[in-house]
Amino acid sequence: MNKKSVPLSVLIYGGLAFWLVIASLPIVWTAVISFRQYIDAFSSPLKWVAPFTMENYSRLWIDKGFYRNFLNTALVTVFTVTISLTVGCLAGYALSRYRGSMGFWLLMIALMFRAIPHSSLLPSFFTIFDALGIRNTYFTLIFVLVAINQPFTIWMLRSFFVNIPNELDEAALVDGCTRFQAFRRVIIPVMWPGVVTTGLFSFLLAYNDFLLSSALTNAEKMTMPAAIANSITAESEALLMQGVAGAVSITIPLIILVIIFQKQIVGGLTQGAVKG
Amino acid sequence: MKTKSFLQFVGPSVVMMMLLLAAPLVITFYLSVRNCAMEMETVKVEESTPFGLKETITQRAKLDASGKAVQSCKFVGLDYYRKVLGLDDASPLQDGPPPDSTASAAKGIPAVSEKAGNEFLGALRFTLVYTFVTLPFVLVIGFLLALGVNSANPKLKGAFITASLLPFIITPVVAALSIKWLFRDNGLVPYLLSFLDIQVFWMAQAWSARMLIIVYGIWHVVPFAFIVLYAGLQGVPQDALEAATIDGATRWQKLRYVTLPHLAPLIVFITLIHMMDAYRVFEPVIVLTQGAFTTSVQYLTYHILLQENNPFKASAAAVLTLIGIVFLLIPLLVKTWREQKKGV
Repeated sequence: MNKKSVPLSVLIYGGLAFWLVIASLPIVWTAVISFRQYIDAFSSPLKWVAPFTMENYSRLWIDKGFYRNFLNTALVTVFTVTISLTVGCLAGYALSRYRGSMGFWLLMIALMFRAIPHSSLLPSFFTIFDALGIRNTYFTLIFVLVAINQPFTIWMLRSFFVNIPNELDEAALVDGCTRFQAFRRVIIPVMWPGVVTTGLFSFLLAYNDFLLSSALTNAEKMTMPAAIANSITAESEALLMQGVAGAVSITIPLIILVIIFQKQIVGGLTQGAVKG
Repeated sequence: MKTKSFLQFVGPSVVMMMLLLAAPLVITFYLSVRNCAMEMETVKVEESTPFGLKETITQRAKLDASGKAVQSCKFVGLDYYRKVLGLDDASPLQDGPPPDSTASAAKGIPAVSEKAGNEFLGALRFTLVYTFVTLPFVLVIGFLLALGVNSANPKLKGAFITASLLPFIITPVVAALSIKWLFRDNGLVPYLLSFLDIQVFWMAQAWSARMLIIVYGIWHVVPFAFIVLYAGLQGVPQDALEAATIDGATRWQKLRYVTLPHLAPLIVFITLIHMMDAYRVFEPVIVLTQGAFTTSVQYLTYHILLQENNPFKASAAAVLTLIGIVFLLIPLLVKTWREQKKGV
């Protein structure tokens, strides 16, 4: 690959640059217009430079109480990730160490659950949760998200656990640990990278969820993505601009996350691929 | 590991999946063949008005002792399936005994049936078009990016990977909204296209709205394919490539006969994941068209449940959706099954 011709390099760097523009354009432009009044944001002809205003953000966060949706998202994602990982680590570890056919069947069933379109679950969720009176609670949303997350979580954690040599926990067992102690004191400490990576993906699933959050919660309990749903059809100009500000607000934590955890995310994506 | 401790370890996870995934699926089947309606009763209302006593006869929901409306539920078989599939529209569910469908067609009712009918097939058709149109673009663009980054300056690689992850991790509903605002009237893209004398009202017609959904789909998944294939490229055996060079293979031949076979399992993996996710396409559909021109199977269930407020019909749509995904994934599931069976 050392003797690249000049035209080829131009093609490569040109192509990569083009993709970067395409990849970032929607969110960059949304960020640009979020600091404008409606008339400047969608003007004809388009304005490249327009007066700067924070009004959309202050209206959204203070007047509309978007901070409450932010706190809801924080609450839901923190609990979803914690419970997913706790439950998932136990199962993933067992699946990596158990040799019986039950483990195989569990993995296959989990794979099928992974493919379920989430809205197929909603009619039953509505019926059951209404009967029990637990729809529109944080508790319900968190457990639904954890369950939806489980198939993916146990597959991913299992693939990390498989890489940890059996001898490690065997040695602990010989030294008199119970299975759980071996897991808790010997395996988990060396598993941190895998747990962090899986946790990131659980976080993304819970944070980005729109379908379940918007269907299962309303008003005060909505997460951020569910809360900006009304900007989908927003007729009023002010409401639309608040939606724009909301979209940027939701994206900023994700950008920070990618910058910090780029290696883990890339590692997680390829982990699944290499291990199937 | 002993079976007993295996069961203890997987217990919490399995219980959760049973309660919140498996049980709801079974209940969905149950709901899809039933219907509940409020029981109505006819009452005579006497009102004293300045013009004397007025009697009207109205219907109202029957209430039980606690003041709740009385629901009467019954088994309706496949009625809702027929409805969702547009097989019979003069539904017996509201109209008492099922009318002869040919007779109702003769009476000129089909004007309604054309709109209501085939809801599911229409949604399924677009879902499949979306899945199979986006797939090749995702694979090809992802592969080209992987090749490009692989031969680019190492110093730029990390930054490029970080930046190109954005479409993949961004909240789908936010991404769809951003694209909508970009293509909106007086948005950036129509403005740029106006220099080329192209004027399209993107969200106002079926073809352009569908195209935007597909563009969103490609944009969203390309980074995933790119990362996976890029990782795969790091594992291509260098000695095989060198041997091919010594044997006089061209750049293209090396790609075709050394690199691609090496990446084949990853391409299958991306295909599997993409088919599962594409079949679930939802956010761009609700954001970009609000179901006006096109629906997807997942959108259909959501819409029937939340807009039509009919959990029974929604269940029928959900069951059909599930049947669809099973058919779509059978070949890939069987393949994974064989591989895992070998592995375990």
